[in-house]
Amino acid sequence: MASPMEQFKIHQGLQLPTVPLPGGLAVDLSLNNSIMAMLIAAGLVIAFFSVATSRAAVVPGRVQLMAEGVFSYIDDMAAGIIGPESRKFLPYVLSMFLFVLSMNMLGLFLAFTATAQLAVTATLALMTFLIVLIVGFARNGANMYKLFVPAGIPWYMLLLVTPIEIISFFLRPVTLALRLFGNMLGGHVALKVFAGFVFSLASLGAAGIVGAVLPLVGVVALTSLEFLVAFLQAFVFAVLTCVYLNDVVNLGHHH
Amino acid sequence: MAAEEIPHVPDAASAVPEGAHAGTVTAEQSGGGGLPQFEFQYWGGQIVWLLLIFIVLYTLMSRVFIPRLRRVQDTRAQTIASAVAEARRVQDEADAQAAAARAEIDQARTRARSVAAEAKVKANAEFAARQAEADARIAEEVAAAETRIRGLRDTAMASVDDIAVETAGAMVQRLTGITVSAADLRAAIKGAA
Repeated sequence: MASPMEQFKIHQGLQLPTVPLPGGLAVDLSLNNSIMAMLIAAGLVIAFFSVATSRAAVVPGRVQLMAEGVFSYIDDMAAGIIGPESRKFLPYVLSMFLFVLSMNMLGLFLAFTATAQLAVTATLALMTFLIVLIVGFARNGANMYKLFVPAGIPWYMLLLVTPIEIISFFLRPVTLALRLFGNMLGGHVALKVFAGFVFSLASLGAAGIVGAVLPLVGVVALTSLEFLVAFLQAFVFAVLTCVYLNDVVNLGHHH
Repeated sequence: MAAEEIPHVPDAASAVPEGAHAGTVTAEQSGGGGLPQFEFQYWGGQIVWLLLIFIVLYTLMSRVFIPRLRRVQDTRAQTIASAVAEARRVQDEADAQAAAARAEIDQARTRARSVAAEAKVKANAEFAARQAEADARIAEEVAAAETRIRGLRDTAMASVDDIAVETAGAMVQRLTGITVSAADLRAAIKGAA
């Protein structure tokens, strides 16, 4: 039987040319199952929102109501964290939430979870980190140092606090990437292991089949838990994106 | 995506679709516990595709979907606000009309009350006048009647003397057989009276 790690293997599909990038790097653009999962996930989001908003009516239909629900949910969340300037960042936060959610959910229906690939989660986390840096420097310029020097703290405490703040700031992309990656990886490994128990016990004969009921119940329970995790991790990613953006958008004055 | 892995990419992609790969990856896999996620020759493609996909998604979100949703929500908020304003206006109008109607009713009531009071006063005055008239007429009649009664009494009282004279004359004549003159009798009765 396949190892629980088999599901995370990249399988090459459609061959596409390798593109040279500036700086001597070259990237193989061939499609593989991870890229396909991302394409399907983004395609589903785009298809859903295209249908939902194509004939947007004041009195919404069912699909429009769902899209508006998701939109308002994230809009309210971003407004609650960032404040009145959240509208500028909503497209990024909403895209991130929907994309991650779609990839997480797709992992429970397809055989492949793109968010269980460190390359994917690390890229998403670095994107957020870079956007926070860019927004921060664009808005605050040299005042960005205040991020590491909280106001109203005596200088001897700053000696302790500032290094901690710096380290935690630069660990943000790491924690952001590893949290999503670890949750998805762990959940899917656990699912596969329990499913493997069902199979191996059931192949032992009548007594085994009876014994296989327990891990089967476990798989069902874990699957429902994984749906919760899939949503929660996408939401956590979006919330943390907002929190990090809030740090630099409202630097120095907390609303 | 360190530069050193790039040479592996083409042959890994074209020659062996899965399983054994060249270089560091093979070493990791043969070691057992290596995660498939650390096959770095696939990182570049995933990262570039992810960025492309995300840019498309972001562009559609920011240019198409979110403006559409904002527009419909703003329209809805406006529709609701204008409907509420219209309802409030109609309500105010209804209140104003109700107040006007109440004022009219009050006015009518006051007018009715004053008319009633006026009528009462007039009726009282008329009644009093008529009563006074009736009283006057009755008093006149009573006075006339009293005058007539007094006349009759006087006449009667005058007649009493004559009767007394006649009776006394008749009694004297019967008793004594003497005819007394009326003037004597009259003087005698006057003296007895």
